[in-house]
Amino acid sequence: MTARARVGLAPYLFLLPFLVVFGVFVLAPLGESVVLSTRQMFGPGASVFVGLDNFRFLLHDPLFYKAVRNTLVFTAGSVFIQLPLALGLAMLLNRPGLRGRYVLRLVFFSPQLVGLVFLAVMTSVIFQKRTGVLNQALHALVGVSLDYPWLERQIMPTLILAALWMYVGFNMIYFLAALQNVDRELTEAASIDGAGPGRRFLAVTLPAIAPVGGFVVLLSILGSLQLFELPYILLTGSGPDNKGLTIVTYLYQSGFETGDLGYASAIGWVLAILLAALAVGQRLLAREARA
Amino acid sequence: MSGRRGRRWVHLLTYAVLAPAAVVTLVPFAWLLTSAFKAPQEFFGSMFLPRGDGFLGVAWDRLTTGNLTRLFRELSIGRAMLNSLFLSSVTSVLATLCCAAGGYALAMYRFRGRRVLTWVVLGALIVPPPLLLAPGYQVLYRLGLLDTYSGLILPAMAPAFGVFLFRQASLQSVPPQLLEAGRLDGCSEAGLFGRIALPLLRPMTGAFLLITFLGVWNNFIGPQIVLQSPEKQPLAVAIAQLKGVYYEDYGLLMAGTLVSIAPVAGLFLLLQKDFVSGLTLGAVK
Amino acid sequence: MAQDREQPIAVARAFALRWPGWLAWLSPGGWVIAAIAVGTTVVVVGGGSARPSGEVRMWTFAPPHARMYEPLLEQWASEPDGRRVDLEVLSLPALERRMLGGFLSGVPVADLIEAERRVASRAFAGPLDAVGFLDLTDRLREDGLLDAINPASFSPWTFRGRIFGLPHDVHPVMLCYRADLVEAAGIDVSTIETWDDFARVMRPLMADGDGDGEPDRYLIAFWTTFPDQLEALILQAGDGFFDEEDHLRIATPTNARVVASLAGWIAGPGRIAADVPEFNAAGNKQKIDGYVVAAIMPDWLSNIWRQQMPELAGKLKLMPLPAWEPGGRRTSVWGGTMLGIPRTAEDPDRLWELAKRLYLSPELSRALYEEGDIVTPVKANWSDPIYDRPDPYFSGQAKGRMYLDLAPQVPRRTSSPFNTMAMQRVQDALVGLVELLRDRPGTDRATLESRAMDLLRVAEADVRSRMDRNVFARGETP
Repeated sequence: MTARARVGLAPYLFLLPFLVVFGVFVLAPLGESVVLSTRQMFGPGASVFVGLDNFRFLLHDPLFYKAVRNTLVFTAGSVFIQLPLALGLAMLLNRPGLRGRYVLRLVFFSPQLVGLVFLAVMTSVIFQKRTGVLNQALHALVGVSLDYPWLERQIMPTLILAALWMYVGFNMIYFLAALQNVDRELTEAASIDGAGPGRRFLAVTLPAIAPVGGFVVLLSILGSLQLFELPYILLTGSGPDNKGLTIVTYLYQSGFETGDLGYASAIGWVLAILLAALAVGQRLLAREARA
Repeated sequence: MSGRRGRRWVHLLTYAVLAPAAVVTLVPFAWLLTSAFKAPQEFFGSMFLPRGDGFLGVAWDRLTTGNLTRLFRELSIGRAMLNSLFLSSVTSVLATLCCAAGGYALAMYRFRGRRVLTWVVLGALIVPPPLLLAPGYQVLYRLGLLDTYSGLILPAMAPAFGVFLFRQASLQSVPPQLLEAGRLDGCSEAGLFGRIALPLLRPMTGAFLLITFLGVWNNFIGPQIVLQSPEKQPLAVAIAQLKGVYYEDYGLLMAGTLVSIAPVAGLFLLLQKDFVSGLTLGAVK
Repeated sequence: MAQDREQPIAVARAFALRWPGWLAWLSPGGWVIAAIAVGTTVVVVGGGSARPSGEVRMWTFAPPHARMYEPLLEQWASEPDGRRVDLEVLSLPALERRMLGGFLSGVPVADLIEAERRVASRAFAGPLDAVGFLDLTDRLREDGLLDAINPASFSPWTFRGRIFGLPHDVHPVMLCYRADLVEAAGIDVSTIETWDDFARVMRPLMADGDGDGEPDRYLIAFWTTFPDQLEALILQAGDGFFDEEDHLRIATPTNARVVASLAGWIAGPGRIAADVPEFNAAGNKQKIDGYVVAAIMPDWLSNIWRQQMPELAGKLKLMPLPAWEPGGRRTSVWGGTMLGIPRTAEDPDRLWELAKRLYLSPELSRALYEEGDIVTPVKANWSDPIYDRPDPYFSGQAKGRMYLDLAPQVPRRTSSPFNTMAMQRVQDALVGLVELLRDRPGTDRATLESRAMDLLRVAEADVRSRMDRNVFARGETP
C-alpha cells in the first residue's frame, strides 16, 4: 500500500452519490430516531419528552429479555450449526477432481432464489402437526406422536433449520472462496509428514481461511441478531408465548403495531450498541490474531 | 490411506455426503413444482404427485394448470412482473455504480475525512433497518416520494454494505501502481475508474448486481408501505398478498412463487461465476 | 503479500481489457441486467399512468367487500353530487402499515378506510385529539343512528366515549356441529345448555375405533394457539379484558374459571378439544374427515367454510353457544369492521353521506348476507325475509334469523390497542395451565382455578406496566 494519490476533488465526487443518498435516507432518519428515543409520541400532534424513560423501561422489560434470549439462540444456531456445515460442504466441494462441483454449487445456492413467503409456507407445511411431513415421517419411522407441536414448542430450532436451508449455500460460497487461499503444497507436505486430516485442518486449512472466516462469522452474527422477516412471516407475529419473538420483531411490533415509536427507537439503539460492541470486538480479535 | 484406491474411497464418501445434502436442498423445489399444478383439494392428498393409474403410477389427469391461468387472469401478474424487473434492475445498476465509485474512492485515494467515512460505512452495517422505517417514511413524504418508484429506488441506491464490499475488492484487486501509470499517461480520474478499476472489479460488480437484484426482487414490506397504487406493485407484493388472512390458497401461492423464481434463476445462471469470485474479493481482510 | 505476486498478471489483464473498451465494465450477466434496466425504464416511464385517479380514495382489506361496493360506488359517481371513487383492496398487514404509518407521521392516507378491529384500535393509543379518524359521534347522534344500529357494534370504535367509525357488522357467534355424526349417534342437542352439558352429552362421539388408545375424534376445535376463539369465549363469560371504561381487568374470578375450563378442554382428563385450525388447508381436511365435531362460528366464518369445504354441505347445523353457566349468555362476538373517515380527508360531509349510503342501504345489507353470510347491524334491515331463507349448507336452517336473534346479546368490546397484548398474555396463561395439567394430570379443579388466577394476575400486571408507561393511556393531556 504505497503511494496513494492526492488528487483534489476526485474522491469526493466519487463518493458524492453515496453520501447524498446516505445522508438523506439513513443519517437524517437515524438522527430523528435519537430524538424519538427520548420521547413518547403518538402522531405529530402528541409528543412528550420523557428523557431516558424508554431506556429505563427497556432494562426492566421481561419481553425484551425474552427477545434477546431467542435472538441469541438463533445466532448461536447460525454460528455453531450453519457455519460449520457450510464450511464442511465447501471443503467437500473443494476436493480435487470432484466431478459435478459446479452443478452442486448451484444446487446448494439455489434456495437464495425463493422469497421468504415461500420459505414460511414451506416450513409451516413441513412442521405442522398431524398433516406435517416431518411428523408423518417420524410417526412412521419411530412412532413419535403425530401431534408433536414443533411450531409451538420448538420455534427457535425450527427457525434455525429453515434458515439453514436458505442460507447455508450462501455461506458455503464464502468458504469455498476462502479455501482457494489454502496452499495445496503445504497440505501435501503436511500429509507426507504424517499429519492426519484433523491436524492438517487445524495447522494448514484453518489459518488460511481465518480472515474470510472471521468476516463470515461477523456477517452471520450481525445478520442473525437482526432476524425479523422470517419469523414474522412464518408466525404472523411472534408465536405462542412469544417463543419466536426476536429483538427486531419486538422493535417492529412496538413501533408499527403498538404505535410506540419512542420505545421502538430505544430498542433499536440498544440493539445497535450491542452490534457495535460485537463488531468492534471482532475487529480487535482479528487484529490480535494477525499480530 | 495409500494411493489411488484410498483416494477413490474418499471420493465415494464425499458423494455419499453431498448427494443427500443436495437432495434435501432440492426437495422443496420438487414440492413447489408439483404443488403449483395441484387443485386445492389435492394439496394435502399427496406429497408430490397424486397416485393413480396413469404413466408411472401417477394420476396425471388430476393435475391442473388452473393455478397458473388464474394467476395470469385474475391478478395482473404480467404488470407486476414488469414492475419487479424494472425496480430490481434499475436499483441494482444504480446501487452498484454508487457503491463501486464510493468503495473505490475509499480504497484508492488519501483525502481528508477518509478515516471518518470508512468508519461511517462500517457503522452503517449495524443499523437495524426497521429503526429507520418510521422516520424514513416521513422523509419520503416530505420529498414527495410516496407512491413513486423513486421512493423505493433512491433509498436503496447506497447501501453501506456495498460500499464496504467494493472497498475491500478495490484494495484486493486494483493495484495503485497501475493507477499511477495511468495518471502519467494523462488519463483523467474518471477514466482511471472506468478503464482500469471497473474491469478489474468486474467479478464484484457481477456479484453485487446479483445480490441487490435478488434482494429487491423478494422484498415486499418496503413496496407495501411506499407504493400505494395497485398497478405499481411488484411481484413480491402480489405473492405476499396471496398468503391471505382468511385463506391460504396454496396452489396459487406456489404457482406465483414458481413464476417469480424463473427470471432470477436465469440471471443467477448467467452471473454465478462472477458471483463466486466477487464474494472472494469482498470477504478478504 | 500475495498481491505482489499476482501484480504483473493483473497489469497485463488490465491493459488487455482496454481493447474491448466499455464492454469490459460488466460481465455478460451484468450487461443483461443493465439491458433490462434500460428496457423496462422505457416501458414503465414511457407508458405513463393509464389510470385516471379518482377524487375519493378508499381502502379496504376484503375483496368481497369491494365487489359489493362497486355498483353502489358507480351509481354515486354518476349522480350530480357524487364523485369518482378509487377503491383499493390491500392485504390487512399492508393496510395496517400504511394507515398507522400515515397517522404517526401526519402523512395523508385514503379518504375512507375500512378497518378491521385490531387494526382500527391502533388509532386509539394517543390522546383523543390525536386519533387519526374523524370523530363521528355528533353526526351519528344528529342522524339518529345511535339507536338504529345494534349498540354493541359501536363498542370497538368507541374511544373515551367518542365514536370513530360506522359499524359494518355484528358478528354474533354460534356453535357449528356435525349434525350427521351427532344425529347418527342419537344425541339430542336441545338438552345442551352449558359447556359442561356439551362435554357430557357429546362424549359418546369420542370413541376409539382404531384402538390406538386415543379417540378418533374430538368434540371441539380449540387450542392454545387460537387467540380469537379464546377471546370470544372469555367475552361470552362476561368480563373480557377491559371494563366499560376501558380499564384493564384480566384477573377476575370469572376469567380464571373460563381459562381453567379451557385448559381442561385441551389437557385435562376429560379432554375434548383438538388443534384443528381455521383458514388452513390442513385444518379443513381434518374437519371434512370428521376429526372434530364442533367449532365456534361467527356469521362470517360460515361463509368461509361454505367456500372452502363444500364437502360439508348438508352435514352441519348451528346452535347457540353453550353457556358458561345455566342461564348465561348463549353467544359471543368475533371479528368486526368499521368504516372511518381519516382527519386528513377533504370534504368530510360528502364522505359521511357516502359512508352512510354504503353501510345503511338495504341493498348492501342484503348483499352482505347473500354473498358474505354477514348479518347487518342496521336494525331497520333485519326484517328482510332473506334472513329467513333456509340455508342448505346448514341442513336447511334459517341461519340468518338465528344469528340475528342473538345480536342483542352480543357482548360489548373494548377499543383499547392494548387488547391484542392482553389477549396474548391470557394466551400465555392458558399455555401455562396446560403445561401444569400435562405435568400433573391429577390437579384438582380448585388448585387449577387458583393457579389460573395467579397466572392471570401476572398477565394483568405485565399489560398494566405497559399501559402505565403510556402517558396518553394514563389520561394525562400533554
